[in-house]
Amino acid sequence: MGFQTEWHAVASWTWDAQDETCGICRMAFDGCCPDCKLPGDDCPLMWGACNHAFHLHCILKWVNSQTSQAHCPMCRREWQFKE
Amino acid sequence: MGESTSPFCNLGILDTLTGDSIQEIIESYSNFCANTESLLNGDFSVDSEFACNVHGLCKYGLNSLVRDQFLGSLEETFERNCVSKFWQYFDAYSNVAILNTNEPPVYEDCLQQVLCKALEEISLEKQYQEKCLLVLVHALSDEEHHSNAEKAYLFSKYQLMVSSVLMARLPRHFPEILHWYFKGRLEELSTNVDGEFNYENESQDKDDMDIDERSKVPCRTGKMDIDECGLGKFSENNALVKNIGKVVLNLRSLGFTSMADDAYASAIFLLLKAKVHDLAGDDFRNSVLQSIKDWIEVVPLQFLHALLAYIGESVSYDSPSSVPKSPLASVAPSFYPGSNAPSEGLVRWRLRLEYFAYETLQDLRIGKLFEIIVDYPESSPAIEDLKQCLEYTGQHSKLVESFISALKYRLLTAGASTNDILHQYVSTIKALRTIDPAGVFLEAVGEPIRDYLKGRKDTIKCIVTMLTDGTGGNPNASGNSGDSLLEELNRDEENLENTGTDDDFNIDDKQAWINAMRWEPDPVEADPLKGSRNRRKVDILGMIVGIIGSKDQLVNEYRVMLAEKLLNKSDYDIDSEIRTLELLKIHFGESSMQRCEIMLNDLIDSKRANTNIKMNRSQTPHTGSEAGDTAVSLDNLDATIISSNFWPPIQDESLNVPQPVDKLLSDYAQRFHEIKTPRKLIWKKNLGTVKLELQFEDRAMQFTVAPIHAAIIMKFQDQPSWTSKDLAAATGVPVDILNRRTNFWISKGILLESPGQDLNDHVFTLLEIVDSDESIGNGRNEELLVGDEEGERSVDSVEDQIRKEMTVYEKFIMGMLTNFGSMALDRIHNTLKMFCVADPPYDKSLQQLQSFLSGLVSEEKLELRDGIYRNKYPCWVTSSKLKHLCVFRTVHVLELPLPSNLTHDQLADVLLPVGSTSCLSLIPSSTEAATAPSPLFGEFAEPGITHSPQDILASSSQFHAPMDN
Repeated sequence: MGFQTEWHAVASWTWDAQDETCGICRMAFDGCCPDCKLPGDDCPLMWGACNHAFHLHCILKWVNSQTSQAHCPMCRREWQFKE
Repeated sequence: MGESTSPFCNLGILDTLTGDSIQEIIESYSNFCANTESLLNGDFSVDSEFACNVHGLCKYGLNSLVRDQFLGSLEETFERNCVSKFWQYFDAYSNVAILNTNEPPVYEDCLQQVLCKALEEISLEKQYQEKCLLVLVHALSDEEHHSNAEKAYLFSKYQLMVSSVLMARLPRHFPEILHWYFKGRLEELSTNVDGEFNYENESQDKDDMDIDERSKVPCRTGKMDIDECGLGKFSENNALVKNIGKVVLNLRSLGFTSMADDAYASAIFLLLKAKVHDLAGDDFRNSVLQSIKDWIEVVPLQFLHALLAYIGESVSYDSPSSVPKSPLASVAPSFYPGSNAPSEGLVRWRLRLEYFAYETLQDLRIGKLFEIIVDYPESSPAIEDLKQCLEYTGQHSKLVESFISALKYRLLTAGASTNDILHQYVSTIKALRTIDPAGVFLEAVGEPIRDYLKGRKDTIKCIVTMLTDGTGGNPNASGNSGDSLLEELNRDEENLENTGTDDDFNIDDKQAWINAMRWEPDPVEADPLKGSRNRRKVDILGMIVGIIGSKDQLVNEYRVMLAEKLLNKSDYDIDSEIRTLELLKIHFGESSMQRCEIMLNDLIDSKRANTNIKMNRSQTPHTGSEAGDTAVSLDNLDATIISSNFWPPIQDESLNVPQPVDKLLSDYAQRFHEIKTPRKLIWKKNLGTVKLELQFEDRAMQFTVAPIHAAIIMKFQDQPSWTSKDLAAATGVPVDILNRRTNFWISKGILLESPGQDLNDHVFTLLEIVDSDESIGNGRNEELLVGDEEGERSVDSVEDQIRKEMTVYEKFIMGMLTNFGSMALDRIHNTLKMFCVADPPYDKSLQQLQSFLSGLVSEEKLELRDGIYRNKYPCWVTSSKLKHLCVFRTVHVLELPLPSNLTHDQLADVLLPVGSTSCLSLIPSSTEAATAPSPLFGEFAEPGITHSPQDILASSSQFHAPMDN
């Protein structure tokens, strides 16, 4: 018996963050921040040097709101975007 | 003057009488009597002598004697000569008329002749007597000079006498006879007119009938030779009407005015009714109202016109000024030759006839409204007719009542499918919207349907399917062509809006004024509680959503269906889904459709990612040795990548896909990760679709199947025969599921099932070669989507989701019932609402709770009696259930129904979390009480006496210590 297959599979994607929810907006990482409508590429995650992840929009808002040097909302270390 | 009136009271006059004068009076009187006799017997020669005698008598003031005597003899003669003779004519019909009220008498023709003859005869006699009366009048008026008054007086007396004498001997069947007579005449007339009416535009067979009719007509009337020309017919009709007119006139002169009027009126109405039934029938595709109106103009009104003209209307409508001016009077066409404006009588007749026609048609249509609505778009002419009728008669309530009972009897039964009911509901809305734009009656009619549908489980599903699917999604679906209901509704709405507001926006004030001018009050039947007509604007979608209760439920159901559909797609073609979603967004708002939009977006993104991944491979040949092998097959893999947070819960079943495929999948995931770092893929291996082509030695077959089917069949590449246990292990699927799925291949004739060594272990063998004849699908391409098999869904249905969510509350409910003994549904609902306010808050509807509870009842956890729920059988034996008690930490008094075979540990499990402040009394559970109660209960089960948990436990430990060990 011979085979020919065309497989149409289903998968779900996930940001490979350690945590479930964003520490700022408390929304799921695999969802999107409150300002966005579409998850995924439109609302990416951003890791800090401290390895804490947030929605990009959330952490940008946070960083921009700080007058002096911004700190990570989770661990209070100075916030540096992870390279 | 004084002479003629005073003698009665003036007795003195008697004294003036001499013997001579008495003699003269006696002589004159006897002569007068003799003359009267001969006069009435037809001898007019005594005329002058009669006058002399009358004078003689009058001279003595005996006028009244003269009158009475003369009228008396007239009466006697009339009664003797005419009355019995007249009625004898009809004796022959007495039986016929009474017995055959429904069929016209067989000898209708001769009845007609008899009636004419009898009437003619008696009228002749009457005319003669009137002549005699005139002689008397002349004789009297010579004496005095008020002949007109005298004449009127005498004639009215005579008329009264004639009719009372006739009436006194009226046979009971005479009205019946008149009725038949008029009916027969009118039918004849109408056939003649119809013949004329249809002469030009009717087909041959109708002509044949006409000829038949015509050939009958001449022998009936005996007046017309076989003359086919219209003129002959016209004159014939005239003659016919004249004949009838004569009969009516004669009847009236005999004092049968009302009887005659009744008879011909009822005949006309009967004829009209028959005509309406004939025209309307069961055909709803044509409007019949106009042809009925035309017919009224042509037949009954023409007839009445001729009749009234012939007999002189003033007899019948003697006070035309008192007749209210009819609204039609001014617009009535001057249709009738010879008269410039129709008379009052005729106008009144027209109104009566039209009203009757409207009412008859309306009753007919209302009776058949259900069928009419079943054929709705085709039957709209009938609806239009009905609308006009109702506007005229205003009997809307009749419609509502009759239609509701038809609905209950024919539609809202267990046998009707939900889809049919919904379609009928939509048709009903559309049809009644035509009749009654304000939607007042729709409200009443729709209610039973809505209530009924609420009780059906699959209502939401059917509604969503109906709304979204139609045939727009899959054009090869047979049946009704066209788009989904949603698109149709949308189109309707656009049309409405376009016609409604074609004016510019900057004339708002003007528009407002116009709207205000157009305002009409609600119909009387409107329910004041339901708000004014503005709010009640008929919105089909709104009414359908109203069945479900909330749009959220509808949206939810749609989401599940959409997910199911998307997951089973093997291409990324979602155009129709996008269109549907856009329409839904218009109706339900963007935010509620947000998740659906993300789902569709996932498909679009997947398509892009899919191409990217494959492009990426061709650009940069994957570093590594295996490139050659897998690179080819990567073309055969597509993936749908979903944002699982926004999809309905997806059923996750374990499945080991074939090794090469598994390799391919991880490869694909790897590439995805490279492109979209740091995102990762998690495969749902049991989902998706597989297009398979199986190549055997003698045939090739194509299938579109679920991955599990593919995984199963591909295992047979390695070895041609598997036992079900081995196969289950190899595919990673439980045996029972495997057996079910394998049935698919067995039914296709590709695998053969045979009993194995073990009873539960079957052996499946691949059939490489099909036996000669029974070539199942030999060389045939099978396109089958197996994902729709029963119980096989990729997404949890809404009910499943709700059930899952409700299980959280199960312990609350069980505990509650333990605590309070028994509770009604709404009390449980309210209690949950009150106490479960956080995490997760209780937000279910009463219906959802009820269905969940009935699930518990069917699992024998609860029992339902008289609308009260209680714990069926509190089996605290399993420790998981014992934990339920933890909920009631704060409760101070507990009655615990316990089975006696509880071990000490189990009891401790129950009692320790209760807390030491509680007081308990143990009671044996209902089944235990029947048998010998455990000694444990002897001590603690005294009613009304409670103990702390510690006491009970201490006692129990003594008790169980020897037994447990």
